[in-house]
Formats: sequence, structure tokens, C-alpha cells
Amino acid sequence: MAAEPEDLHCRAASRLLSQACDRPLTEPEVAALRYHLGECFMCRNFEANLEFLHQASERLGSGK
Amino acid sequence: MTDPRYAEIETHRPYLMRYAVSQLRDSQLAEEAVQEALVSALEGLASFGGRSTLRTWLTSILRFKVIDLQRRAVSERRTIERDDGWADGEGEAWLDDLFDETGHWRDPPQAWSDPHAALEQRRFWEAFERCLDGLPPMAGRVFFRREILGEETPVICKAEGITASNCWVILHRARLALQGCLGRGWFAEGSHGG
Repeated sequence: MAAEPEDLHCRAASRLLSQACDRPLTEPEVAALRYHLGECFMCRNFEANLEFLHQASERLGSGK
Repeated sequence: MTDPRYAEIETHRPYLMRYAVSQLRDSQLAEEAVQEALVSALEGLASFGGRSTLRTWLTSILRFKVIDLQRRAVSERRTIERDDGWADGEGEAWLDDLFDETGHWRDPPQAWSDPHAALEQRRFWEAFERCLDGLPPMAGRVFFRREILGEETPVICKAEGITASNCWVILHRARLALQGCLGRGWFAEGSHGG
């Protein structure tokens, strides 16, 4: 498998944003992700939508 | 007069079914467990003091039925609904449907307007359940255990017999699928009683 490019594209950013919900990211991953999010509103939308999905799921589990 | 909670219990059935499926990995067994749990719940409704929510109480009854059926399934060597192909992280051909050759979104995520208002609307929850139902069996179970029950990934991986990276791939794909489904099925409609 090819190494992650230093300049993340959205495909890799979406993977890291999802994994951030499940494991601690490494420092280089966090740095690359922060940089990408600063540039890309689409991935910022994805980040916000993941956060909402998480809240909705939690609420579903607690029985509202 | 009939206890109004009889009807209320029924409204929790889809959630209980999802819970049972996530643990038993077999929809028929899950159906049995939920059925038995609901019968017990109706019989024991008088003992429900309302200290916990009705859902928590129902889930605790169901948990015992699930353990019971798990034992039975093991002794009967029942097979389980195992893999739906979502765990394969190597090919990642599925990502090509969502991202172009340069790695950009084909269908960029939208900013959802006032998503928190949605949480107060019954129709939103129906849409959410429909989206969860759209996930393949294994992805549905993994997402349910991770996000709805809040279980840690190692616990889920072990139960499903998959690696951590399989788990992450499944969750990534499930989240993207749910974002797409909610985007189309709820947030795109624009007006929900405002």
C-alpha cells in the first residue's frame, strides 16, 4: 500500500475523521488532518455530520 | 382500563430488535429473544417502578434472554450471519464510488441546517431507523455496538472475529453510508415543520 501523501486528500481525511471516533490518532495524523480541515469546508461538514451522528446514536441508546 | 405502558412497550420493539441482532447475529434468534422479553415485560409490568427509563428496563430483561439464547445457539451449533464484505479494507473499491481519482468527494457533504432540532422530531427518528436498516447485517451490528451501545472497538472485534482495522473500515463505511442516507432522507427535504 502506498504511504499517505503529506498533503491529505478528502478520501484519506474522511478515513482519519472516522477513525478519530474509534482510536487516538497519532501526532502526524492529527497535524495532517488539522491542516486539511483548515483548507476544506467539505471535510469540515463531514466532521460536523459525524458529530451529529454520534449524538443521535447516543440518544437512541438512552431511549431519548 | 389498559395500562398505557402496554402500547408504549411496543414502540421500543425496533430498538430491542436491533440490540438483540447486534448480540446474537441472527435475526431469527433475535426475534425469539425480543418476543420472550416482551412477554416477560408485560407480565412483570407491575414491578417496573419507573426508577429507570422503560427502555433501560426492557433492555435489561432482553439482556438475560439474549444470554440464554446465546447458550442455546452454541449448543445447537447455529451458524451466524457473518460477513457482508464490508470488512475488506485492502481493495477499498467502495471508496471509488464516493471519491474521484484525485481523492475528492464526488458528492460533497452538506452542512445540515439546525440538526439538533431534528432530534426532537419523531419523524427524524423514523428516518434514522430506516437508514440503520439499510446497512448490511455485520455493519449494522458493529455500528450499533460502537455508537449506540458505546462499546469499545476491541470488544466488538473480538465478538465479530475481525481485526481492529476491519472494524475501522466497517465503521468508516457505515458512517459515510448513514451520512448519505440522512442527507437524502431527512436533511434534503428542507421543511420538517420548522
